[in-house]
Amino acid sequence: MRLLPSQENAILASPMVLFLLALLGFPVVLSIVYGFSEASFQSLMSPKLIGFANFQLVLQDSAFWDAAWFSLRFGLITALLECVLGLFLAVYLAPLIRENGWMVAVLIIPMIVAPAMIGLMYRLVLHEFAGPVPYYFYEWLGWSPSFLSTGMVFKTIVVAETLQWTPFAFLLFLTAYQAIPQDIREAASVDGTRPWRMFWKIELPQMMPTLFVAGFIRFIDGFRVFDNIYTLVGAGPGGSTTSMSIYIYETFLRRGEIGKAMAAAILLFVVAFAILALGQSLMRRRR
Amino acid sequence: MKLHLILRWLVFVTAALVLNFPVIATFITALKAPAEIARNPSLVVQNPTIENFVTVLTVSDRLNIYHYLLNSLLSASIGSLLPIVVAFPIAWAMVRRGYGRNILFPLIVNLRALPLIIFAVPLYLMFSVVNLLDTRLGLGLVLAVVNLPLTLMLLVNAVAEIPIELEEAARMDGARLPRLILRIVLPLCRPAFITTFVFGFITAWNEFLFGLILTTQKAVPMTVGASFFFATSGGGVQWGVAAAVMIVAALPPLLLGLIMYRKITGSMVSGAVKG
Repeated sequence: MRLLPSQENAILASPMVLFLLALLGFPVVLSIVYGFSEASFQSLMSPKLIGFANFQLVLQDSAFWDAAWFSLRFGLITALLECVLGLFLAVYLAPLIRENGWMVAVLIIPMIVAPAMIGLMYRLVLHEFAGPVPYYFYEWLGWSPSFLSTGMVFKTIVVAETLQWTPFAFLLFLTAYQAIPQDIREAASVDGTRPWRMFWKIELPQMMPTLFVAGFIRFIDGFRVFDNIYTLVGAGPGGSTTSMSIYIYETFLRRGEIGKAMAAAILLFVVAFAILALGQSLMRRRR
Repeated sequence: MKLHLILRWLVFVTAALVLNFPVIATFITALKAPAEIARNPSLVVQNPTIENFVTVLTVSDRLNIYHYLLNSLLSASIGSLLPIVVAFPIAWAMVRRGYGRNILFPLIVNLRALPLIIFAVPLYLMFSVVNLLDTRLGLGLVLAVVNLPLTLMLLVNAVAEIPIELEEAARMDGARLPRLILRIVLPLCRPAFITTFVFGFITAWNEFLFGLILTTQKAVPMTVGASFFFATSGGGVQWGVAAAVMIVAALPPLLLGLIMYRKITGSMVSGAVKG
């Protein structure tokens, strides 16, 4: 018996489709049911439909809006810093890396370590008695900021995130930089173009699409941040480091407000989807 | 020119030290005896010792790190192998037949950009119904979902790079589809399988959120287990032991990543640029 190509396709697709239906389809249904219901861990199996009340609850919760603002700010600032630093490292170190490929391995180490682990490491590194950072501040400057206090904690986690993910931007830019055809550079240097001008007028425009991609990916990743902030400071002093992800986590597991957490997750999905669609249509237009 | 060379080296060394600072400082702390940590928080060790590592690697009532390591090993293996198994057949159909290219492919690739917490809450409820909470299998299945988007992308790239003439020649010899895929396409994709597996394994090992929410005891992975050492109950944190735990926890992905850094960076770049 010979199968039709369409039947063959269906068979080839079935493992993945079934897998996704089981592990994503079912949860999606649950999300919708619980998003519109009242339920707690005690009444988990008997959700009571209550319409849009959960969404109303979330949208009226000032903590939700604080979390949204936090995630947006955190995503934008870290993406910007990572791209600027990554671009500098890629372009400035490229000639050195051409002869020493291993340097790339050294610089990407932070990305291979779990963000959760990096968060824990900063707990140690910044600890007022055991940590080397406050120690050297006292040693050299005679004072040390308390890095995890309300006033400082945002800056601290921005630095932690930036140092971990600058390598990602660096890697993308290095690849893009190395892919610029050598004859473009040669033609320009025959015309007597100075290195600085070469960068602005020739190399940077060639790298523009990559800059956009890297910035976008880093923004998305910063926007959904959870692991490193959670292990370093949790929700932070007075909830000051509550990102969207942490907000939903706390609503769900700490406070047991299942319906409200689900409604917030659905809202986050809509927002993330909108950002994604917007970013991709922008990128397509640039190409 | 000479000056620029020196400056470039200086920038490289500074960047390497600053970017890797938390890892370096943690490693140095792990080499200090408890008494020295209290006395000397600097980055210079006076009496280096492996005492902390011995403590961590010795099974005791308070701590059995092998439990966490085994949980991570098993769930990360499921989480990196399963996506390859389910995505490989459809990757071929997508490349050679254009099947699912317009809807399914972008849908799955975009999953990767969504905040994981969105799935965590409903998965928790689902797992409590089907009794998968706090099991390695359950955690592994979820990690497989996390890895699926990039796995599919990398396998689609791999199949697309196989010269179609090879497949046509096999067809001429009368090979049917199952034989064609298993005998011709599968062996040629082996390098891609290895890269995808290593990348997926590192991602799964490093995952934290699902481990935190979906496990409580029996299946707690290393990333979550490491955070237990910071729960300050009673005597406060033993910094030397905690530092050694973090180094041990970070070591498997670090070794894999450094051995295969060319492949890893290659997949990171193609994953980013083609998404």
